[in-house]
Amino acid sequence: MPVPCRTGCGNNAVLKRPKTGDALCKECFYWAFETEIHYTITKGELFNKGDSVAIAASGGKDSTVLAYILKTLNTRYDYGLNLMLLSIDEGITGYRDDSLETVKQNRDDYEMPLKILSYKDLYGWTMDEIVAQIGRKNNCTFCGVFRRQALDRGAALLDVKCIATGHNADDIAETVLMNVLRGDIARLKRCTAISTGSEGTIPRVKPLKYTYEKEIVMYAHYKKLVYFSTECVFAPNAYRGHARALLKDMERIRPTCIMDIIYSGETMSVKEQVSLPSQRICSRCNFVSSQEVCKACVLLEGLNKGLPKLGIGKTSKAKKMLEAYNARQMQENSLEQATDLEDTSKSIKDNIKDASNKCNSKNCCSGKCKSDASKQQNGNAKINKLLEQYGLDESPSSQKLNGDLSDDECSGGCGNSSSMPIGF
Amino acid sequence: MICKKCNNDESTVLLRKKDYYCEKCFINNTNHKFRACIGKNKLFSSQENVLVCLSGEEGSTVLLNLISNGLCLENHKKLRINPIFLHLYNNNDIAEKVIEDCKKHDFVVYVVNISDYMSTTIDLPEPNSLPKLNVGTNNTVNIFNNLPATAFNDMFIKIKRTLFIKYAKVLHCNFIFTAETTGSLASSLLSSIALGRGSQVEDDIGFIDNRDDIKIVRPMKDISKEELHFYIKIKKLNIQHHYDMKKNSLQVLINNFVSDLQENFPSTISTVCKTAEKLGVASDNADNESNHKCKICESVLNIPDGRLTALQATDFSRIVSLQKPSKINTHDKNVIKIVQENQHSMFPYISAAKCVKKKGEGVMKIGAVTEDASQNGMPYYDDPKRLGKGEKRQQS
Repeated sequence: MPVPCRTGCGNNAVLKRPKTGDALCKECFYWAFETEIHYTITKGELFNKGDSVAIAASGGKDSTVLAYILKTLNTRYDYGLNLMLLSIDEGITGYRDDSLETVKQNRDDYEMPLKILSYKDLYGWTMDEIVAQIGRKNNCTFCGVFRRQALDRGAALLDVKCIATGHNADDIAETVLMNVLRGDIARLKRCTAISTGSEGTIPRVKPLKYTYEKEIVMYAHYKKLVYFSTECVFAPNAYRGHARALLKDMERIRPTCIMDIIYSGETMSVKEQVSLPSQRICSRCNFVSSQEVCKACVLLEGLNKGLPKLGIGKTSKAKKMLEAYNARQMQENSLEQATDLEDTSKSIKDNIKDASNKCNSKNCCSGKCKSDASKQQNGNAKINKLLEQYGLDESPSSQKLNGDLSDDECSGGCGNSSSMPIGF
Repeated sequence: MICKKCNNDESTVLLRKKDYYCEKCFINNTNHKFRACIGKNKLFSSQENVLVCLSGEEGSTVLLNLISNGLCLENHKKLRINPIFLHLYNNNDIAEKVIEDCKKHDFVVYVVNISDYMSTTIDLPEPNSLPKLNVGTNNTVNIFNNLPATAFNDMFIKIKRTLFIKYAKVLHCNFIFTAETTGSLASSLLSSIALGRGSQVEDDIGFIDNRDDIKIVRPMKDISKEELHFYIKIKKLNIQHHYDMKKNSLQVLINNFVSDLQENFPSTISTVCKTAEKLGVASDNADNESNHKCKICESVLNIPDGRLTALQATDFSRIVSLQKPSKINTHDKNVIKIVQENQHSMFPYISAAKCVKKKGEGVMKIGAVTEDASQNGMPYYDDPKRLGKGEKRQQS
């Protein structure tokens, strides 16, 4: 039996809104959906008239709907915004290459300029290569950290006032839960803000903050928007999955809990006596960071030195790793021959295996990273203490050394640094 | 296995899957955790009256045991409180068991029916006996039973809190002990967040609930469920298992989730509890403490300060879901104004009923509101000027 639309417009309802439980017809749903986002934008004071806005476009449902909606509302309510699309190519085969095609389709459909930046160009590594190094665990750390900075770089290139991202209500609720589970108090504090960005950085805004994922999917479906709907091939191992599973189960019992979680995040705050990291500028690349050197630089350094775990886990561990690395280097330089034959015989097999594995990374490392490193170096006078001490990419010669040494790194990773010369 | 503490080789207690203790060291350690929690916070003066709330579950049975041990000591370590026990009656077997337990230790326990929440008079029941059932008051539970499971569980916690405080006043206690353990506190933190009570976690999950003059203290907040089980086993305590929470609710779901995750990530519960310790109320809300308090849970009302919140966004969603687009559709810049005109009729009772209405009348409506994501009973103070602010900025 058909249900009449709740607004009394006379049409039959086609869907029941997950957010409020009201049954609406297509037209009324469109109107409600769009008006809500308009309300969020105006009440939240997200944009100023005449701003240039970059829409972070992945080709997925959220960013596609965001681009479509912003274009629609921009015309309907005369925001006077200059909209453009900004995409990041992480270099994930079977995922991003396909989704970028969708973004190009959006570019043509919505008549917006599109800028694509790739990890390969920015960092010298594609995600595929990174995953080959780091494995299936923790790779989301790299992707997330690099993308955050890549968006900043892209926005700076496009000279926009702000970046609009397609984070929806489900994403934000999920992040709140995840930050509680991980005890990440600093992120918990800012993850519900509708607009983030401190002085001197390009703010990010989330116009879909209060929009349910389900409604976005339905909107895209009824409007027949073209979007790409494959999960990232590397995502299933992420810790976020636990929070997502919990949220999905909770939503089934009580759909309003998504908004309630966001409300909780908005109304609670961190006690004053708790010290939080302050946001500043990375001394190496000049982008936002909570540390002297930003995470992206640390991760990249780790990749380039063949210590991919460098930026993962505690900083004390990273220090130790760098010290070990440094020690190995000293050893090389002083031409001290290894005398430790006992250990060598034990691990010689492993070393040979590892050495052959590392050949690939060595090639890619010494090639691409050199250009990247020199690029970064140009922009920076200050170099962080940590990296200053161990930074190998300051001159072309040391870069070469880095490439040569990458074999040794891995044998060191196996716990025996002195065995390498004999292994060969 | 060798005890981590005393090197005794008869260790039977394995905690966190890696640490072995002998029974003696373990009991000492648990006692210490309980005492340290009270001692560190220097709350009590000597021989303070404390209302100890017993639910009959594992936690409360251990709490009873810890208190009676503490009182028995004769040295400087003696627990210097004057405990009075209270049990909220919901089930015959449990109430009888609690009375029996208390008699064993020569303690006095008052058993109060949960329906007492609705009664305006205060009758202190006979100690150590089941209360007589009042036919009229029993309806209360039926009213609440009509609530959705999640809201019922939430309301039930608030009812218990109100009753604890009510009887603490009657029995001249300034402090209340409850028996939550780390695991249950971690779950309730997540539940609180899921119910929009994020700003209340400091009082709901922390060591002390400061909302009333009578303080609710959680002296077992550092003791884990694992430790409870060993304690019960070693002391051979008799437990009657029962579960207050209604199934198919967020609270039960979250409980299961936390214990599952704890299996694979053993630091989950302690991380969540540490997070809870660092959370407070948004500072701009902390100032207007004076008289805007929720009648039910005594939390400070979050008065909107013009910022857009999820609550406003939800309300707006309800409004637009009831409007015909034709009324406003094309190129109308005043959409927000029109919506705002309708806003006050949307929740006619949310400001009035939630906080001023007499208890008896308000209950059903409150339940409905609770399930509508309007947990915090925020009155509508929206300033009409403020609503158009974004709009004006657009135009200028």
